[in-house]
Amino acid sequence: MKFTITIIVLILFSGCTKEIKPWEKGMLAKDSMKSSSKNTIGKKFEEHMFFSKEASKGGSGISGGGCGCN
Amino acid sequence: MKKILLGIFLSLNLFAYEVGDTLKNTMAQHLNIDNSKLYVIDFYASWCGSCKKELPLISQANIQIDTNKVEFLGINVDKDIQASMEFNKETEINFRVINDSNSIIVSQFNPIGIPTLYYVKNKKIMKIITGALDNIDKQILNDIKEME
Repeated sequence: MKFTITIIVLILFSGCTKEIKPWEKGMLAKDSMKSSSKNTIGKKFEEHMFFSKEASKGGSGISGGGCGCN
Repeated sequence: MKKILLGIFLSLNLFAYEVGDTLKNTMAQHLNIDNSKLYVIDFYASWCGSCKKELPLISQANIQIDTNKVEFLGINVDKDIQASMEFNKETEINFRVINDSNSIIVSQFNPIGIPTLYYVKNKKIMKIITGALDNIDKQILNDIKEME
């Protein structure tokens, strides 16, 4: 009985960790998904501030839309 | 009973075609492929930048092959059929394309990325290339030579 309940719970919880498949990532590749698409100048200014303060840059975007590019 | 339940749980969403696997007959029918040729199946999408670079090269390779022995097949995985049709026209693909907007085919193959190329001979997966290559046309032609 315990085993069956465990399996049912595991199946139900697996819905919370649904993996986004590579072919479902088209939405991420759209320009509108880029945080800088509407306000490019503002974004550049923000990046400059970040670079000046932290002496590092990058890490603010995604590279592509989930394609398996080499 | 416990083993059956565990088996069902473990097999959920874990299936993917690998090298050496044989395509199910229903899938072969869906793709309209048979045992007479070597098939080069390319999964691509309009939103994938590297697919856009790669597809003209694949079309170029398609001109150089013996179509009696080899057939190229494109699987466009776009959800939006309109975008998919426009992309196919824009990239001037010269081989047969199936629009898999419902992800029926791609979810069976379950590639780890887009683009992905599958070589299928006698319904058996011979080789898989995941990701775009700069010289994909030469790579395909070499692979075809080796597999014929």
